[in-house]
Amino acid sequence: MASPYRILTFAWQSFWRNIWLSLVTITIIVLTFISINFLVVINFITDAAIKVLQEKVDISINFKPDVLEPQVQEIQTYLSALTQVKEINYISQKEALENFRQTHSANQLVIDSLAELENNPLGASLQIKAKNLDDYSEIITVINNSKYNNLIAVKNFDDNQLYISKTKNVSEYVKKIAVFASGFFILVAFLIVFNTIRVAIYTHRQEIGVMKLVGATNWFIRGPFIVEAIFYGVIACILAILIIYPFLNFLQPYLVKFYLTEDFNIINYFNENFWQIFGLELLVIIALTIVGSIIAIRRYLKV
Amino acid sequence: MIIFKNISKIYPPDIVALKNINLHIKPKEFVSIVGRSGTGKTTLVKILVAEEPPSKGQIIVGGWEITNIRESEVPSLRRQIGVVFQDFKLLPKKTVFENIAFALEVCGTDRIKIKEVVPQVLKIVGLTGKEDRYPIQLSGGEQQRVAIARALVHRPKILVADEPTGNLDSINTREIVDLLLKINEFGTTVVLVSHNREVINSINKRVVTLDNGTVISDQKFGKYFL
Ligand SMILES: Nc1ncnc2c1ncn2[C@@H]1O[C@H](COP(=O)(O)OP(=O)(O)OP(=O)(O)O)[C@@H](O)[C@H]1O
Ligand SMILES: [Mg+2]
Repeated sequence: MASPYRILTFAWQSFWRNIWLSLVTITIIVLTFISINFLVVINFITDAAIKVLQEKVDISINFKPDVLEPQVQEIQTYLSALTQVKEINYISQKEALENFRQTHSANQLVIDSLAELENNPLGASLQIKAKNLDDYSEIITVINNSKYNNLIAVKNFDDNQLYISKTKNVSEYVKKIAVFASGFFILVAFLIVFNTIRVAIYTHRQEIGVMKLVGATNWFIRGPFIVEAIFYGVIACILAILIIYPFLNFLQPYLVKFYLTEDFNIINYFNENFWQIFGLELLVIIALTIVGSIIAIRRYLKV
Repeated sequence: MIIFKNISKIYPPDIVALKNINLHIKPKEFVSIVGRSGTGKTTLVKILVAEEPPSKGQIIVGGWEITNIRESEVPSLRRQIGVVFQDFKLLPKKTVFENIAFALEVCGTDRIKIKEVVPQVLKIVGLTGKEDRYPIQLSGGEQQRVAIARALVHRPKILVADEPTGNLDSINTREIVDLLLKINEFGTTVVLVSHNREVINSINKRVVTLDNGTVISDQKFGKYFL
Protein backbone atom coordinates (compact mmCIF):
# COMPACT_ATOMS: atom_id res chain seq x y z
CA MET A 1 0.00 0.00 0.00
CA ALA A 2 2.32 2.70 1.23
CA SER A 3 4.91 2.95 -1.48
CA PRO A 4 8.45 2.56 -0.15
CA TYR A 5 9.58 5.45 -2.30
CA ARG A 6 7.06 7.82 -0.75
CA ILE A 7 7.85 6.73 2.76
CA LEU A 8 11.59 7.10 2.24
CA THR A 9 11.16 10.53 0.69
CA PHE A 10 9.08 11.47 3.66
CA ALA A 11 11.72 10.29 6.13
CA TRP A 12 14.40 12.14 4.19
CA GLN A 13 12.42 15.39 4.11
CA SER A 14 11.55 15.08 7.75
CA PHE A 15 15.22 14.58 8.53
CA TRP A 16 16.14 17.85 6.82
CA ARG A 17 13.21 19.81 8.11
CA ASN A 18 14.42 19.55 11.69
CA ILE A 19 18.06 19.10 10.85
CA TRP A 20 19.45 20.11 14.25
CA LEU A 21 17.14 17.83 16.09
CA SER A 22 18.03 15.05 13.66
CA LEU A 23 21.73 15.62 14.30
CA VAL A 24 21.25 15.55 18.06
CA THR A 25 19.23 12.36 17.77
CA ILE A 26 21.85 10.69 15.64
CA THR A 27 24.67 11.85 17.90
CA ILE A 28 22.99 10.35 20.93
CA ILE A 29 22.39 7.06 19.16
CA VAL A 30 26.02 7.04 17.97
CA LEU A 31 27.12 7.55 21.59
CA THR A 32 24.89 4.67 22.58
CA PHE A 33 26.52 2.44 19.97
CA ILE A 34 29.98 3.52 21.09
CA SER A 35 29.28 2.90 24.72
CA ILE A 36 27.92 -0.58 23.99
CA ASN A 37 31.00 -1.33 21.90
CA PHE A 38 33.19 0.00 24.65
CA LEU A 39 31.72 -2.82 26.69
CA VAL A 40 32.69 -5.27 23.96
CA VAL A 41 36.24 -3.88 23.92
CA ILE A 42 36.58 -4.10 27.71
CA ASN A 43 35.38 -7.67 27.58
CA PHE A 44 37.91 -8.49 24.95
CA ILE A 45 40.80 -6.83 26.79
CA THR A 46 40.10 -8.41 30.16
CA ASP A 47 39.39 -11.82 28.66
CA ALA A 48 42.73 -11.61 26.91
CA ALA A 49 44.47 -10.54 30.11
CA ILE A 50 42.97 -13.43 32.01
CA LYS A 51 43.95 -15.87 29.27
CA VAL A 52 47.51 -14.57 29.34
CA LEU A 53 47.66 -14.99 33.09
CA GLN A 54 46.06 -18.41 32.98
CA GLU A 55 48.52 -19.50 30.37
CA LYS A 56 51.27 -18.85 32.91
CA VAL A 57 49.68 -20.85 35.70
CA ASP A 58 51.04 -24.32 36.32
CA ILE A 59 51.99 -26.80 39.01
CA SER A 60 55.52 -28.01 38.96
CA ILE A 61 56.49 -30.99 41.05
CA ASN A 62 60.16 -31.66 41.66
CA PHE A 63 61.05 -35.19 42.58
CA LYS A 64 63.78 -36.19 44.93
CA PRO A 65 67.03 -36.91 43.08
CA ASP A 66 66.79 -40.63 43.78
CA VAL A 67 63.46 -41.01 42.03
CA LEU A 68 64.17 -42.61 38.70
CA GLU A 69 62.75 -42.06 35.29
CA PRO A 70 60.41 -45.08 35.07
CA GLN A 71 58.80 -44.07 38.32
CA VAL A 72 58.34 -40.49 37.18
CA GLN A 73 56.79 -41.74 33.99
CA GLU A 74 54.42 -43.92 35.93
CA ILE A 75 53.36 -40.84 37.86
CA GLN A 76 53.00 -38.90 34.65
CA THR A 77 50.75 -41.59 33.24
CA TYR A 78 48.75 -41.59 36.46
CA LEU A 79 48.27 -37.83 36.39
CA SER A 80 47.53 -37.70 32.69
CA ALA A 81 44.54 -39.84 33.33
CA LEU A 82 42.95 -37.12 35.44
CA THR A 83 40.20 -35.29 33.61
CA GLN A 84 41.32 -31.95 34.97
CA VAL A 85 44.77 -32.19 33.42
CA LYS A 86 45.40 -30.54 30.08
CA GLU A 87 49.05 -31.34 29.56
CA ILE A 88 52.12 -32.51 31.42
CA ASN A 89 55.61 -31.51 30.58
CA TYR A 90 58.36 -33.89 31.69
CA ILE A 91 61.76 -32.46 32.54
CA SER A 92 64.32 -35.20 33.09
CA GLN A 93 67.16 -35.01 35.58
CA LYS A 94 69.59 -34.38 32.76
CA GLU A 95 67.58 -31.56 31.33
CA ALA A 96 67.18 -30.08 34.77
CA LEU A 97 70.91 -30.07 35.21
CA GLU A 98 71.45 -28.61 31.78
CA ASN A 99 68.96 -25.85 32.50
CA PHE A 100 70.62 -25.17 35.76
CA ARG A 101 74.04 -24.97 34.12
CA GLN A 102 72.77 -22.59 31.55
CA THR A 103 71.10 -20.21 33.92
CA HIS A 104 74.22 -20.12 36.08
CA SER A 105 76.81 -20.24 33.33
CA ALA A 106 78.16 -16.87 34.39
CA ASN A 107 78.79 -18.02 37.92
CA GLN A 108 82.06 -19.95 37.92
CA LEU A 109 81.68 -20.91 41.53
CA VAL A 110 78.42 -22.74 40.91
CA ILE A 111 79.83 -24.48 37.84
CA ASP A 112 82.86 -25.57 39.78
CA SER A 113 80.91 -26.93 42.68
CA LEU A 114 78.66 -28.85 40.28
CA ALA A 115 81.71 -30.49 38.80
CA GLU A 116 82.74 -31.62 42.31
CA LEU A 117 79.58 -33.65 42.72
CA GLU A 118 79.47 -37.23 41.55
CA ASN A 119 75.71 -37.52 41.29
CA ASN A 120 73.16 -35.28 39.71
CA PRO A 121 71.78 -33.33 42.66
CA LEU A 122 68.67 -32.31 40.79
CA GLY A 123 65.54 -34.37 40.52
CA ALA A 124 63.27 -34.74 37.53
CA SER A 125 60.17 -32.64 37.46
CA LEU A 126 56.70 -32.49 35.92
CA GLN A 127 54.97 -29.32 34.87
CA ILE A 128 51.23 -29.70 34.90
CA LYS A 129 48.70 -27.49 33.22
CA ALA A 130 45.07 -27.85 34.10
CA LYS A 131 42.15 -27.33 31.78
CA ASN A 132 40.53 -24.80 34.07
CA LEU A 133 41.84 -22.50 36.69
CA ASP A 134 39.69 -24.13 39.34
CA ASP A 135 41.11 -27.55 38.57
CA TYR A 136 44.51 -26.81 40.04
CA SER A 137 43.49 -27.18 43.65
CA GLU A 138 41.85 -30.53 42.86
CA ILE A 139 44.96 -31.75 41.10
CA ILE A 140 47.04 -30.74 44.10
CA THR A 141 44.71 -32.62 46.42
CA VAL A 142 44.97 -35.71 44.25
CA ILE A 143 48.76 -35.54 44.34
CA ASN A 144 48.84 -34.96 48.06
CA ASN A 145 46.66 -37.97 48.71
CA SER A 146 48.45 -40.22 46.28
CA LYS A 147 51.03 -42.81 47.25
CA TYR A 148 53.59 -40.81 45.27
CA ASN A 149 53.51 -37.88 47.60
CA ASN A 150 56.60 -38.94 49.51
CA LEU A 151 58.66 -39.06 46.32
CA ILE A 152 58.18 -35.37 45.79
CA ALA A 153 60.72 -32.90 47.06
CA VAL A 154 58.97 -29.63 46.25
CA LYS A 155 55.58 -28.75 44.89
CA ASN A 156 55.26 -25.35 43.33
CA PHE A 157 51.94 -23.90 42.53
CA ASP A 158 52.63 -20.68 40.81
CA ASP A 159 49.04 -19.70 40.71
CA ASN A 160 48.85 -16.04 39.65
CA GLN A 161 45.57 -16.36 41.47
CA LEU A 162 45.97 -12.95 42.97
CA TYR A 163 46.57 -11.28 39.61
CA ILE A 164 43.76 -13.15 38.00
CA SER A 165 41.28 -12.21 40.65
CA LYS A 166 42.49 -8.63 40.64
CA THR A 167 42.12 -8.49 36.89
CA LYS A 168 38.67 -9.98 37.22
CA ASN A 169 37.73 -7.44 39.84
CA VAL A 170 38.92 -4.51 37.82
CA SER A 171 37.20 -5.92 34.75
CA GLU A 172 33.94 -6.43 36.62
CA TYR A 173 34.15 -2.90 37.92
CA VAL A 174 34.84 -1.34 34.54
CA LYS A 175 32.13 -3.50 33.00
CA LYS A 176 29.66 -2.28 35.57
CA ILE A 177 30.46 1.30 34.67
CA ALA A 178 30.18 0.53 30.97
CA VAL A 179 26.87 -1.30 31.46
CA PHE A 180 25.60 1.63 33.46
CA ALA A 181 26.77 4.08 30.79
CA SER A 182 25.20 1.96 28.05
CA GLY A 183 21.96 1.74 29.96
CA PHE A 184 22.02 5.47 30.45
CA PHE A 185 22.65 6.13 26.77
CA ILE A 186 19.97 3.66 25.75
CA LEU A 187 17.50 5.46 27.96
CA VAL A 188 18.53 8.88 26.66
CA ALA A 189 18.46 7.63 23.06
CA PHE A 190 14.99 6.27 23.66
CA LEU A 191 13.75 9.58 25.06
CA ILE A 192 15.41 11.56 22.28
CA VAL A 193 13.87 9.38 19.58
CA PHE A 194 10.53 9.67 21.26
CA ASN A 195 10.85 13.44 21.37
CA THR A 196 12.13 13.73 17.81
CA ILE A 197 9.19 11.77 16.49
CA ARG A 198 6.88 13.86 18.61
CA VAL A 199 8.31 16.99 17.01
CA ALA A 200 8.09 15.39 13.57
CA ILE A 201 4.43 14.64 14.21
CA TYR A 202 3.93 18.22 15.32
CA THR A 203 5.69 19.55 12.24
CA HIS A 204 3.47 17.42 10.03
CA ARG A 205 0.23 18.02 11.89
CA GLN A 206 -1.37 19.69 8.87
CA GLU A 207 -0.53 16.85 6.52
CA ILE A 208 -1.65 14.34 9.13
CA GLY A 209 -4.96 16.14 9.44
CA VAL A 210 -5.50 16.02 5.70
CA MET A 211 -4.44 12.38 5.51
CA LYS A 212 -7.02 11.43 8.11
CA LEU A 213 -9.62 13.52 6.34
CA VAL A 214 -9.15 11.82 2.99
CA GLY A 215 -9.01 8.31 4.41
CA ALA A 216 -5.34 7.39 4.40
CA THR A 217 -4.85 4.11 6.23
CA ASN A 218 -3.32 4.29 9.66
CA TRP A 219 -0.16 2.60 8.54
CA PHE A 220 0.20 5.10 5.77
CA ILE A 221 0.07 7.83 8.36
CA ARG A 222 2.24 6.12 10.97
CA GLY A 223 4.63 4.19 8.77
CA PRO A 224 6.73 7.17 7.71
CA PHE A 225 7.41 8.15 11.32
CA ILE A 226 8.52 4.66 12.18
CA VAL A 227 10.70 4.54 9.09
CA GLU A 228 12.17 7.88 10.07
CA ALA A 229 13.07 6.47 13.49
CA ILE A 230 14.66 3.39 11.91
CA PHE A 231 16.52 5.68 9.56
CA TYR A 232 18.15 7.40 12.55
CA GLY A 233 19.24 4.05 13.95
CA VAL A 234 20.80 2.91 10.68
CA ILE A 235 22.63 6.18 10.02
CA ALA A 236 23.92 6.19 13.60
CA CYS A 237 25.11 2.59 13.26
CA ILE A 238 27.08 3.40 10.12
CA LEU A 239 28.65 6.44 11.77
CA ALA A 240 29.49 4.45 14.88
CA ILE A 241 31.27 1.81 12.78
CA LEU A 242 33.23 4.56 11.03
CA ILE A 243 34.31 5.89 14.42
CA ILE A 244 34.99 2.58 16.14
CA TYR A 245 37.39 1.03 13.60
CA PRO A 246 39.98 3.83 13.70
CA PHE A 247 39.82 3.57 17.47
CA LEU A 248 40.51 -0.18 17.29
CA ASN A 249 43.43 0.49 14.96
CA PHE A 250 44.77 2.90 17.49
CA LEU A 251 44.28 0.43 20.32
CA GLN A 252 45.79 -2.67 18.75
CA PRO A 253 49.53 -1.75 19.07
CA TYR A 254 49.00 -1.11 22.76
CA LEU A 255 47.47 -4.54 23.19
CA VAL A 256 50.47 -6.13 21.51
CA LYS A 257 52.81 -4.19 23.76
CA PHE A 258 50.85 -5.00 26.86
CA TYR A 259 50.35 -8.72 26.31
CA LEU A 260 53.66 -9.28 24.52
CA THR A 261 51.88 -11.39 21.96
CA GLU A 262 50.07 -10.92 18.68
CA ASP A 263 47.54 -13.55 19.69
CA PHE A 264 44.91 -11.05 20.61
CA ASN A 265 43.85 -8.90 17.71
CA ILE A 266 40.87 -6.78 18.50
CA ILE A 267 40.39 -5.69 14.89
CA ASN A 268 40.17 -9.31 13.78
CA TYR A 269 37.84 -9.96 16.65
CA PHE A 270 35.48 -7.22 15.48
CA ASN A 271 35.84 -8.33 11.86
CA GLU A 272 35.09 -11.95 12.63
CA ASN A 273 32.12 -11.07 14.81
CA PHE A 274 31.01 -8.08 12.74
CA TRP A 275 27.41 -9.21 12.27
CA GLN A 276 27.05 -10.60 15.78
CA ILE A 277 28.28 -7.34 17.24
CA PHE A 278 26.92 -4.63 14.98
CA GLY A 279 23.97 -6.62 13.65
CA LEU A 280 22.74 -7.36 17.13
CA GLU A 281 23.36 -3.81 18.30
CA LEU A 282 21.56 -2.44 15.29
CA LEU A 283 18.61 -4.73 15.97
CA VAL A 284 18.46 -3.59 19.56
CA ILE A 285 18.71 0.08 18.60
CA ILE A 286 16.11 -0.29 15.86
CA ALA A 287 13.77 -2.04 18.26
CA LEU A 288 14.34 0.84 20.62
CA THR A 289 13.64 3.51 18.01
CA ILE A 290 10.55 1.66 16.86
CA VAL A 291 9.17 1.43 20.38
CA GLY A 292 10.03 5.11 20.97
CA SER A 293 8.29 6.21 17.80
CA ILE A 294 5.26 4.00 18.38
CA ILE A 295 4.78 5.47 21.84
CA ALA A 296 5.11 8.98 20.40
CA ILE A 297 2.60 8.09 17.68
CA ARG A 298 0.20 6.59 20.19
CA ARG A 299 0.31 9.69 22.31
CA TYR A 300 0.42 12.43 19.74
CA LEU A 301 -1.10 10.98 16.62
CA LYS A 302 -4.67 10.17 17.38
CA VAL A 303 -6.08 8.60 14.28
CA MET B 1 -28.52 6.47 2.50
CA ILE B 2 -27.67 7.96 5.88
CA ILE B 3 -29.67 7.08 8.97
CA PHE B 4 -29.30 8.74 12.37
CA LYS B 5 -31.32 6.75 14.89
CA ASN B 6 -31.84 8.32 18.33
CA ILE B 7 -28.38 9.85 18.22
CA SER B 8 -27.23 11.71 21.32
CA LYS B 9 -23.83 13.16 21.96
CA ILE B 10 -22.55 14.21 25.34
CA TYR B 11 -19.07 15.67 25.52
CA PRO B 12 -17.48 14.91 28.85
CA PRO B 13 -18.29 15.82 31.46
CA ASP B 14 -21.86 16.88 30.66
CA ILE B 15 -22.06 19.10 27.57
CA VAL B 16 -25.06 17.87 25.65
CA ALA B 17 -24.36 18.61 21.98
CA LEU B 18 -27.06 16.41 20.43
CA LYS B 19 -30.26 14.96 21.85
CA ASN B 20 -32.20 12.17 20.20
CA ILE B 21 -31.54 13.02 16.59
CA ASN B 22 -33.54 11.02 14.04
CA LEU B 23 -32.74 11.70 10.42
CA HIS B 24 -33.04 9.80 7.17
CA ILE B 25 -31.13 11.14 4.21
CA LYS B 26 -31.87 9.43 0.95
CA PRO B 27 -29.31 8.74 -1.77
CA LYS B 28 -28.76 11.70 -4.12
CA GLU B 29 -30.58 14.02 -1.75
CA PHE B 30 -29.43 17.59 -1.04
CA VAL B 31 -29.92 18.44 2.63
CA SER B 32 -29.13 21.72 4.34
CA ILE B 33 -28.59 21.67 8.06
CA VAL B 34 -29.09 25.00 9.75
CA GLY B 35 -29.16 26.29 13.28
CA ARG B 36 -27.63 28.76 15.67
CA SER B 37 -24.01 28.60 16.71
CA GLY B 38 -23.22 25.84 19.18
CA THR B 39 -26.34 23.91 18.37
CA GLY B 40 -24.59 20.70 17.34
CA LYS B 41 -24.26 20.90 13.55
CA THR B 42 -20.53 20.19 13.44
CA THR B 43 -20.98 17.45 16.02
CA LEU B 44 -23.44 15.80 13.67
CA VAL B 45 -20.86 15.95 10.87
CA LYS B 46 -18.17 14.52 13.16
CA ILE B 47 -20.37 11.59 14.04
CA LEU B 48 -21.11 11.00 10.39
CA VAL B 49 -17.39 10.75 9.48
CA ALA B 50 -16.57 8.79 12.66
CA GLU B 51 -14.43 11.52 14.11
CA GLU B 52 -16.52 11.33 17.28
CA PRO B 53 -18.51 8.33 18.46
CA PRO B 54 -22.12 8.95 19.39
CA SER B 55 -22.95 8.60 23.09
CA LYS B 56 -26.21 6.91 22.27
CA GLY B 57 -28.10 5.72 19.22
CA GLN B 58 -27.16 4.22 15.93
CA ILE B 59 -25.69 5.59 12.73
CA ILE B 60 -25.82 3.80 9.41
CA VAL B 61 -24.14 4.95 6.20
CA GLY B 62 -25.00 3.17 2.99
CA GLY B 63 -26.23 0.13 4.90
CA TRP B 64 -23.06 0.07 6.97
CA GLU B 65 -23.59 0.40 10.70
CA ILE B 66 -20.73 2.63 11.81
CA THR B 67 -21.86 3.31 15.36
CA ASN B 68 -18.97 1.33 16.83
CA ILE B 69 -16.73 1.39 13.80
CA ARG B 70 -13.27 -0.07 14.27
CA GLU B 71 -10.32 2.25 13.93
CA SER B 72 -9.01 0.24 11.02
CA GLU B 73 -12.25 0.72 9.11
CA VAL B 74 -12.41 4.49 9.47
CA PRO B 75 -10.21 5.17 6.39
CA SER B 76 -12.58 3.14 4.27
CA LEU B 77 -15.53 5.22 5.52
CA ARG B 78 -13.67 8.48 4.92
CA ARG B 79 -13.09 7.52 1.30
CA GLN B 80 -16.81 7.15 0.87
CA ILE B 81 -17.61 10.52 2.40
CA GLY B 82 -15.93 13.65 1.04
CA VAL B 83 -15.71 16.48 3.57
CA VAL B 84 -14.95 20.19 3.21
CA PHE B 85 -14.70 22.83 5.89
CA GLN B 86 -14.86 26.54 6.34
CA ASP B 87 -11.06 26.76 6.59
CA PHE B 88 -10.31 24.69 3.42
CA LYS B 89 -7.46 22.73 5.06
CA LEU B 90 -5.16 23.00 2.06
CA LEU B 91 -1.42 22.43 2.42
CA PRO B 92 0.25 25.82 1.78
CA LYS B 93 3.50 24.39 0.44
CA LYS B 94 1.81 22.29 -2.19
CA THR B 95 0.36 23.46 -5.46
CA VAL B 96 -3.26 22.92 -6.41
CA PHE B 97 -2.30 19.79 -8.30
CA GLU B 98 -0.14 18.48 -5.46
CA ASN B 99 -2.80 19.18 -2.87
CA ILE B 100 -5.30 17.07 -4.74
CA ALA B 101 -2.75 14.43 -5.71
CA PHE B 102 -1.75 14.13 -2.04
CA ALA B 103 -5.18 12.80 -1.15
CA LEU B 104 -4.68 10.00 -3.67
CA GLU B 105 -1.01 9.35 -2.88
CA VAL B 106 -1.67 8.78 0.79
CA CYS B 107 -4.27 6.22 -0.09
CA GLY B 108 -1.78 4.32 -2.18
CA THR B 109 -2.97 5.35 -5.63
CA ASP B 110 -0.35 4.99 -8.35
CA ARG B 111 1.01 7.87 -10.37
CA ILE B 112 -0.73 7.00 -13.59
CA LYS B 113 -4.11 6.96 -11.92
CA ILE B 114 -3.32 10.22 -10.11
CA LYS B 115 -2.46 11.95 -13.39
CA GLU B 116 -5.79 10.80 -14.72
CA VAL B 117 -8.03 11.67 -11.77
CA VAL B 118 -6.68 15.09 -10.75
CA PRO B 119 -7.51 16.86 -14.04
CA GLN B 120 -10.96 15.31 -13.96
CA VAL B 121 -11.87 16.72 -10.56
CA LEU B 122 -10.21 20.05 -11.41
CA LYS B 123 -12.48 20.22 -14.41
CA ILE B 124 -15.57 19.53 -12.29
CA VAL B 125 -14.75 22.44 -9.97
CA GLY B 126 -13.70 24.66 -12.86
CA LEU B 127 -10.06 25.15 -11.97
CA THR B 128 -8.43 23.73 -15.07
CA GLY B 129 -5.32 25.76 -15.82
CA LYS B 130 -4.64 26.74 -12.23
CA GLU B 131 -3.03 23.48 -11.14
CA ASP B 132 0.41 25.00 -10.61
CA ARG B 133 -0.71 27.78 -8.29
CA TYR B 134 -0.18 27.73 -4.58
CA PRO B 135 -3.22 28.18 -2.29
CA ILE B 136 -2.06 31.66 -1.38
CA GLN B 137 -2.30 32.65 -5.05
CA LEU B 138 -6.01 31.78 -5.18
CA SER B 139 -9.16 33.57 -4.02
CA GLY B 140 -11.08 32.11 -1.09
CA GLY B 141 -13.70 30.67 -3.43
CA GLU B 142 -11.03 29.06 -5.57
CA GLN B 143 -9.36 27.60 -2.51
CA GLN B 144 -12.65 26.11 -1.41
CA ARG B 145 -13.08 24.65 -4.89
CA VAL B 146 -9.68 22.98 -4.56
CA ALA B 147 -10.86 21.51 -1.26
CA ILE B 148 -14.04 20.27 -2.96
CA ALA B 149 -11.98 18.77 -5.79
CA ARG B 150 -9.86 17.00 -3.22
CA ALA B 151 -12.98 15.68 -1.49
CA LEU B 152 -14.12 14.21 -4.80
CA VAL B 153 -11.01 12.21 -5.74
CA HIS B 154 -12.33 8.98 -4.29
CA ARG B 155 -15.67 9.40 -6.08
CA PRO B 156 -17.57 9.55 -2.79
CA LYS B 157 -21.32 8.90 -2.69
CA ILE B 158 -21.67 11.57 -0.04
CA LEU B 159 -20.21 15.06 0.16
CA VAL B 160 -20.43 16.89 3.47
CA ALA B 161 -19.72 20.62 3.58
CA ASP B 162 -19.50 22.21 7.02
CA GLU B 163 -20.00 25.97 6.53
CA PRO B 164 -18.08 25.91 3.25
CA THR B 165 -18.94 29.54 2.56
CA GLY B 166 -18.29 30.89 6.02
CA ASN B 167 -15.14 32.68 4.92
CA LEU B 168 -16.38 33.82 1.51
CA ASP B 169 -18.01 36.93 0.07
CA SER B 170 -21.44 36.68 -1.57
CA ILE B 171 -20.17 36.15 -5.13
CA ASN B 172 -17.83 33.34 -4.14
CA THR B 173 -20.53 31.93 -1.89
CA ARG B 174 -22.92 31.75 -4.82
CA GLU B 175 -20.32 29.96 -6.93
CA ILE B 176 -19.63 27.35 -4.27
CA VAL B 177 -23.32 26.70 -3.72
CA ASP B 178 -23.85 26.32 -7.46
CA LEU B 179 -20.96 23.89 -7.56
CA LEU B 180 -22.46 21.85 -4.74
CA LEU B 181 -25.80 21.77 -6.58
CA LYS B 182 -24.00 20.64 -9.73
CA ILE B 183 -22.20 17.87 -7.87
CA ASN B 184 -25.57 16.83 -6.42
CA GLU B 185 -27.04 16.69 -9.91
CA PHE B 186 -24.28 14.25 -10.89
CA GLY B 187 -25.72 11.93 -8.24
CA THR B 188 -23.80 12.68 -5.08
CA THR B 189 -25.63 13.09 -1.78
CA VAL B 190 -24.80 16.54 -0.43
CA VAL B 191 -25.08 17.56 3.20
CA LEU B 192 -24.58 21.29 3.57
CA VAL B 193 -24.21 22.88 6.98
CA SER B 194 -24.81 26.60 6.82
CA HIS B 195 -25.64 29.74 8.69
CA ASN B 196 -26.37 31.74 5.61
CA ARG B 197 -30.01 32.74 5.25
CA GLU B 198 -29.69 33.87 1.62
CA VAL B 199 -27.96 30.66 0.61
CA ILE B 200 -30.52 28.42 2.23
CA ASN B 201 -33.45 30.35 0.88
CA SER B 202 -32.07 30.27 -2.67
CA ILE B 203 -31.48 26.52 -2.75
CA ASN B 204 -35.08 25.52 -2.19
CA LYS B 205 -34.36 21.98 -1.12
CA ARG B 206 -34.72 20.04 2.13
CA VAL B 207 -33.79 22.01 5.25
CA VAL B 208 -33.25 20.46 8.67
CA THR B 209 -33.17 22.97 11.51
CA LEU B 210 -31.38 22.17 14.75
CA ASP B 211 -31.79 23.97 18.00
CA ASN B 212 -30.18 23.07 21.26
CA GLY B 213 -29.12 19.72 19.94
CA THR B 214 -32.52 18.62 18.64
CA VAL B 215 -34.25 18.72 15.27
CA ILE B 216 -36.93 21.37 15.51
CA SER B 217 -38.00 21.30 11.88
CA ASP B 218 -37.42 19.21 8.77
CA GLN B 219 -38.97 20.64 5.58
CA LYS B 220 -38.87 19.29 2.08
CA PHE B 221 -38.51 22.69 0.41
CA GLY B 222 -37.42 24.63 3.41
CA LYS B 223 -36.54 28.16 4.30
CA TYR B 224 -34.24 29.63 6.90
CA PHE B 225 -36.53 30.86 9.64
CA LEU B 226 -34.48 31.25 12.81
N1 LIG C 1 -14.69 18.58 21.62
C1 LIG C 1 -15.63 19.15 22.38
N2 LIG C 1 -15.61 19.02 23.72
C2 LIG C 1 -16.56 19.57 24.47
N3 LIG C 1 -17.58 20.26 24.00
C3 LIG C 1 -17.67 20.41 22.68
C4 LIG C 1 -16.70 19.88 21.79
N4 LIG C 1 -17.04 20.19 20.52
C5 LIG C 1 -18.17 20.90 20.62
N5 LIG C 1 -18.55 21.04 21.90
C6 LIG C 1 -19.78 21.70 22.37
O1 LIG C 1 -20.87 21.06 21.79
C7 LIG C 1 -21.84 21.99 21.38
C8 LIG C 1 -22.13 21.86 19.89
O2 LIG C 1 -20.95 22.23 19.17
P1 LIG C 1 -20.87 22.19 17.59
O3 LIG C 1 -19.52 22.50 17.21
O4 LIG C 1 -21.47 20.93 17.12
O5 LIG C 1 -21.83 23.42 17.22
P2 LIG C 1 -22.14 24.04 15.77
O6 LIG C 1 -23.59 23.95 15.60
O7 LIG C 1 -21.26 23.44 14.74
O8 LIG C 1 -21.74 25.55 16.00
P3 LIG C 1 -21.15 26.60 14.91
O9 LIG C 1 -22.30 27.03 14.09
O10 LIG C 1 -20.64 27.72 15.77
O11 LIG C 1 -20.09 25.91 14.16
C9 LIG C 1 -21.29 23.34 21.77
O12 LIG C 1 -21.86 23.72 22.98
C10 LIG C 1 -19.84 23.13 21.93
O13 LIG C 1 -19.32 24.01 22.90
MG1 LIG D 1 -19.79 24.14 13.42
